[in-house]
Amino acid sequence: MAVLNQKKSKVSDEIPSSSMADIAFLLLIFFLVTTVFPKDKGLPIVLPEQSEEVAVSQKNILHLLIQPTGIVIVRRGESQQEQQMRPADIEGLWRQEFAQNENLIAAVKTHPEAPYKFMVDVLDALQTAGAERISLQILEG
Amino acid sequence: MAIRQGGFERKSKASQEIPSSSLADIAFLLLIFFMVTTVFRTTSERPIAWPAAEAAQKIDEKAKDILYIWLEQGGSIWINDRQYSMAEVSTIVAPLYANSDRRLVISLRADRDVPYLYIDQLQKELQEAGAVRLVFASELERRMTRERR
Repeated sequence: MAVLNQKKSKVSDEIPSSSMADIAFLLLIFFLVTTVFPKDKGLPIVLPEQSEEVAVSQKNILHLLIQPTGIVIVRRGESQQEQQMRPADIEGLWRQEFAQNENLIAAVKTHPEAPYKFMVDVLDALQTAGAERISLQILEG
Repeated sequence: MAIRQGGFERKSKASQEIPSSSLADIAFLLLIFFMVTTVFRTTSERPIAWPAAEAAQKIDEKAKDILYIWLEQGGSIWINDRQYSMAEVSTIVAPLYANSDRRLVISLRADRDVPYLYIDQLQKELQEAGAVRLVFASELERRMTRERR
């Protein structure tokens, strides 16, 4: 009324609905393609076959005795010298020891009462350090 | 021809074409119907506190070749929503392992505080069943949280 330049718009007011289905399919396909289902994670290990026993020279064994408190007692081969460590320190220890002896085997011996998480921590440290020859045992006596 | 000449021929006023504008609606209807009716076979999770590991890797195996063994803090063992005793594990796992073409991977979901004795017994049971590929399922631990500990 007061507006002078009032023009009648020739463009339709409505949003075109014919392409709605296309948009919906586009979204659908986009989400189908980008969805990733969570995969399980864990520390893989291959157990020895039953009755499979290999004699290993004592000097190639690094004994890791996990105590119920979470402290790891480290013993190298035949020597009776013991060293106490935290699971987090095993990674550095393994790298250091493995550099000196490439045939080294980690013998992880866990006390029956020790919580599982300490064994996981030690195994984690060993695998982080790249150890491949790991033996899991229970601490006897 | 004979019928046409019968005199009852009417011109149909309805369009000959199937309306295609509602095709998308039909497709969506079907999609939603199947989405709603599909039931995935799932096993319920047991309440455990997961251990954390930095070197945790994804299990690179098809879902059907993974067997989950739950081990709760009290030492109870659950496989496929049923509780078993320690001695039964090897008899349960052995046929599954044979059926899977020796591809079966055991994912051990054990509580972080479970005594190691149970883990050791379970390993021996699995060895007896011949299933030697084992994964200690754990959450991925970031180096940051590790250093804080």
